[in-house]
Amino acid sequence: MASANPRSTVTLGGRPLHAMLVPIPIICFVGTLITDIVYWQTAAMLWADMSDWLLLVGLIVSVVAVPAGLIDFLGDPRIRQLRAAWIHAIGNVTALILSIFNCLIHTRDAYTSVVPTGLILSALVVVILLVTGWNGWALVYRHGVGVRAAGQP
Amino acid sequence: MKFARVEVAAIAAAYALVGCGPAPGDPNRQVGPNPYLPPIHQYLLPPMHVAKVVGWNGATPTVAAGLKVQAFATGLANPRSLYVLPNGDVLVVETGGPPGPVSRPKELVMNWVEKMAHSRTKPGQRILLFRDTSGSGVADQKTVFIDHLNSPFGVVLVGNDLYVANTDAVLRFPYTTGQTQITDPGVKLCDLPGGPIDHHWTKSLTASPDGSELYAGVGSNSNITENGIQAELDRASIWQIDRATGAHREYATGLRNPNALQFEPQTHKLWAVINERDELGPDLVPDYLTSVQDGAFYGWPYSYYGQHLDPRVQPQRPDLVAKAIAPDYALSSHVAPLGLVFYSGTNLPEHYRGGAFVGEHGSWNRAVLNGYKVVYIPFVDGRPSGPPQDVVTGFLIDGDKARGRPVGLSVDGKGALLIADDTGNSVWRVSAASP
Repeated sequence: MASANPRSTVTLGGRPLHAMLVPIPIICFVGTLITDIVYWQTAAMLWADMSDWLLLVGLIVSVVAVPAGLIDFLGDPRIRQLRAAWIHAIGNVTALILSIFNCLIHTRDAYTSVVPTGLILSALVVVILLVTGWNGWALVYRHGVGVRAAGQP
Repeated sequence: MKFARVEVAAIAAAYALVGCGPAPGDPNRQVGPNPYLPPIHQYLLPPMHVAKVVGWNGATPTVAAGLKVQAFATGLANPRSLYVLPNGDVLVVETGGPPGPVSRPKELVMNWVEKMAHSRTKPGQRILLFRDTSGSGVADQKTVFIDHLNSPFGVVLVGNDLYVANTDAVLRFPYTTGQTQITDPGVKLCDLPGGPIDHHWTKSLTASPDGSELYAGVGSNSNITENGIQAELDRASIWQIDRATGAHREYATGLRNPNALQFEPQTHKLWAVINERDELGPDLVPDYLTSVQDGAFYGWPYSYYGQHLDPRVQPQRPDLVAKAIAPDYALSSHVAPLGLVFYSGTNLPEHYRGGAFVGEHGSWNRAVLNGYKVVYIPFVDGRPSGPPQDVVTGFLIDGDKARGRPVGLSVDGKGALLIADDTGNSVWRVSAASP
């Protein structure tokens, strides 16, 4: 069975589940940084409340998206040979762990739920997501991970 | 004692492992005029240690030597405060708070925790009247005194005017001695800050000794301004309300959740018990008993115990903090005092005369439970004169199960101490063991 591209193991209707889900936590965690910054500047609690919801939704979806990605990573040895895959996997697991801590910090009341620890964690997660995103795009668009090539079953 | 030390060490080790912060200290370091105040610890995961409600099942609280306890009334629906009428009839306020809006995920968890900590009985929204015609110490007549109230708490009678503090208004009802039921709809004297958030909803009520003014305790709308400072307008204060016009002013401010307003009988000064802020550690901030001075600012939200700043409040108000005064007498952290009564009766032994009883509802956010008892604080010349003494205990069994939780206190016509128990759904009567 000669398949051209590394395969995704966790799929839904032939589409990689990880790729379907990751936009949600990415946009939630980027959103958290934005609402954290606005809270830091305004001290208006509404913005901190929005951060809490964004973090929660991002985490809930991550709990499915990250294991799906890890199973893909472990499911095809050709993926594990890619340096970009290691950076992507380790980075995203780190971002998930930091976001869990961030969610707990955000359960504090008022100013210190965001400033400074929450804000720093939110920024750190977005920086990590930029790196893992860059490498993730390389996996798909350069190495064809999970992409069905012509003639591939 | 040895066992307690092992237990404390085990808890400390567990806390170090999961990183939940410092182990709770000895509450005895945090009572009286100069409580020990440890450094602030902000949690990653605040402890939620709620006593499992098991009920009394025929058991009764434990009382100090020389006292006896009886179940004055049972089978109630969340009795929270008490008021004794001049003829000896006992008013029991069955009440519960309004459901608050959920503005962030944490509140879903907090609502669940609060539910676990209380009785499963749906709270009443009414005042019951109990009468003990036989003098046995157990009520034998019960009527619904005023029905269809809105989270009522405070009650006070001035002449023939009975005032009830709903969570959103003070109402006035006509009352004549001996009456067992009021069907008159009542008249609104003034509005009080109510919903939609109404975080601390219990509005205590008392009247000045001359009857011209009412005083209402209005708790804050948050733990520490997490609902926005704009939600705190006219809150965390004690209102002075003109009885004739209903006009009000803030008599004292910076009191996070003031309850059980009482005038000390010897000096005629206003006192209250205050629930201080949470989530700064197991031993911050001590709740307290204090005389309430006209025009004073007691710190909330910006500072506690005078000028100890709370970093969670932004923007800070150095101008207000500079004026903040420390309260008189700490009760230790998270005990949740909700009841206070000065004892000027003659039924209880000499030892208990002239001082104050405090009902401590008990902690829910401290790894080692604190409170869950009624204490006595001796007074000399209108000032506390010694450490608190346990008077009524046994609300907890096995260290973490609640048979009941004491709330409002009052003294009945014969001089016995009455205790509302909102979790055991009872009213307990404590009197001298031998008359």
